[in-house]
Amino acid sequence: MRRAAPLLIGAGLLLPLAAIEPRAWLTLTVAGLAMGMLIFLVASGLTLIFGLMDVLNFAHGALFSWGAYAGFTVAVAVNARWGWAASPSVWANAGLLLLAVAGSVAAAFALGVLLERVIVRPVYGQHLFQILITLGATIVLEELIRVVWGPNDQVMPVPATFQGSWDVADVVVLRFPAIAIALGLAVYAAMQWLLTHTRVGLIVRAGVENTEMVQVMGHDIRRYFTAVFAAGSGLAGLGGLMWGMFSQAIRPSMGGEQLIFAFIVVIIGGLGSVTGSLVGALLVGLAYNYVAFLVPKAAIGVTMGIMVLVLLVRPTGLYGAGR
Amino acid sequence: MSAGVITAVQAARRAARRARGRSPALYLRLALVAAWALLPALQPSYQLLDLALKVALFATLAASYDVVIGYTGIVSFGHAMFFGFGAYAVALAVGRLGAPTYGHLLLGVLAGVAVSGVVAVVIGVFSLRVKALFFAMITLAFAEFALILAVQWGALTGGEDGLSPRMPGVFAAGAAGPLGLPGRVVTYYALLTICLGLFLLMGRFVHSPLGRTLQAIRDNELRAEALGYRTFVFQLVASSFGSVVAAVLGGGYAVWVRYVNPESALGIPIMLDVLLMVIIGGIGTLEGGLVGAAVLLTARTLLPNLRGLGGSLVAGSEILQRLSERWLLYFGILFVLVVFFFPRGVLGTLREVAARRRGGAAPEA
Repeated sequence: MRRAAPLLIGAGLLLPLAAIEPRAWLTLTVAGLAMGMLIFLVASGLTLIFGLMDVLNFAHGALFSWGAYAGFTVAVAVNARWGWAASPSVWANAGLLLLAVAGSVAAAFALGVLLERVIVRPVYGQHLFQILITLGATIVLEELIRVVWGPNDQVMPVPATFQGSWDVADVVVLRFPAIAIALGLAVYAAMQWLLTHTRVGLIVRAGVENTEMVQVMGHDIRRYFTAVFAAGSGLAGLGGLMWGMFSQAIRPSMGGEQLIFAFIVVIIGGLGSVTGSLVGALLVGLAYNYVAFLVPKAAIGVTMGIMVLVLLVRPTGLYGAGR
Repeated sequence: MSAGVITAVQAARRAARRARGRSPALYLRLALVAAWALLPALQPSYQLLDLALKVALFATLAASYDVVIGYTGIVSFGHAMFFGFGAYAVALAVGRLGAPTYGHLLLGVLAGVAVSGVVAVVIGVFSLRVKALFFAMITLAFAEFALILAVQWGALTGGEDGLSPRMPGVFAAGAAGPLGLPGRVVTYYALLTICLGLFLLMGRFVHSPLGRTLQAIRDNELRAEALGYRTFVFQLVASSFGSVVAAVLGGGYAVWVRYVNPESALGIPIMLDVLLMVIIGGIGTLEGGLVGAAVLLTARTLLPNLRGLGGSLVAGSEILQRLSERWLLYFGILFVLVVFFFPRGVLGTLREVAARRRGGAAPEA
């Protein structure tokens, strides 16, 4: 199944060509890959947290929304002070994006530490209470967004450089999705490097395999729990900001909607596998965009269809360990 | 087994049967049933009668959810979806097949039960094979899918606006029933009887040998498996049973309010309400749902008045104003606090206290 995954993605990429004309196909593919990468940002944190700590974090979607709103606040403040969003300078635009990213990641990271320490830590090992308590945290966090920023949609300021599109050989390539794809690949590469080439990554991977054994070896696994939980939260926050810029609008319930996609992706990829969540996210993103173009109403159904199909063939997901 | 020798389980059951007549719980239950049954005789306001029956319906719904979450230990987020299937099936059968008859009503209930049963088994087969945790994620995805389907498929379901079918015979708006009773009161008794029947059925279910096995799986799945029980099959039976009960209740809800839309019958908010009812009342108590439903629905009915008061008190600040409007925020905080400090809920905690006073061990859930 692992070896079949590239084949699966290849088939998923090329099959729709039969029904869609090539130029529209390319535009859809870029949009699909971008969507997949953004879902990957959310799903990778979710899958690592689950793999390492055996915690199903329902609050992940709320952290996504918080990241979007925190980044939004930074972007609006920076824009009001220096006018960096509308400025023609690429550097000013990039600066705005970087500051917004820093704001959203910092906020989500801090919330992640808080959540892990206060809410999740007391209920390790009790699945039912984990789900209930993170669900409660979701309600509270989402309502707090409505209290602080108001219940209505907000328009996200997007730097001028990243709006519009590039024409590459007569094909329209939207700029922001292209940046989202690059960012997603960079995050994946960084995560892979961190997990396979550093000592921290080694311990985290060992923890995914067998938590007790890592403790026996003298490592304080709780510290790694907090770190992974917070890092996953930061990724969710980053995903939220990028999604907000992608769709140019943010609203309090956006996290809950993305969480369902992330769950589907995590199930497809296999709980605990980062590569699996990348493959799953790309599959879902592409399929969603192709089908939304061909049969708009069936779009959400097709992601469910993929999930059911994968579960039929491999109940633990594409890259899931057999447990 | 020779006569005269009884197993430990039989002995425990005999002791429980003997204690039944002496325990206050039985009389409390009878008093509650009597209160609900006698309420229409007091000729209450429309609102009070409505609240009383909704409490009964949602208490039973919460109990059916408790069978899944509390007695079997699998977290489902699709329970409201099955409730919605029942409601929509009744609304469609009564509203879309010509002049409404009792036959259509029965057909609707049966169709809702059949659809729910099939969907529950399919979801269970897909997700329970690996990890019960999958169930939470997959039911959430399916529930979202059902919601989108109900909104998008406007030609059949009426979209966001929903359906408001005309009910047959005594269940219709403003109809007169036999013995000079208003149709509304007859409907009330019919639905109350259904709720009571379902409650008894669920009580029988969880205290049957099957129910005992479910609790064993909940407490220690590995051990139950080692004892030779096919845990997957038991979990599948329990989740399907709970879903079918929810579908029947959804049908009852549609008959009572004569209106079904995605938000009121299918949505995630309904799911959260039911979850909250179970948590407040006490996981694994069955009757706890009644406490939860009564608290939540009464609060929901009274809250708009309080909200107006709160709004006028803090008219100055925008954020304070918003704080007073977001009642869901307080429900969320309450939810977290209850899970943390009263993980057994109101009824579970009461039973614990009562058991401790008797000097016995903690009560079984």
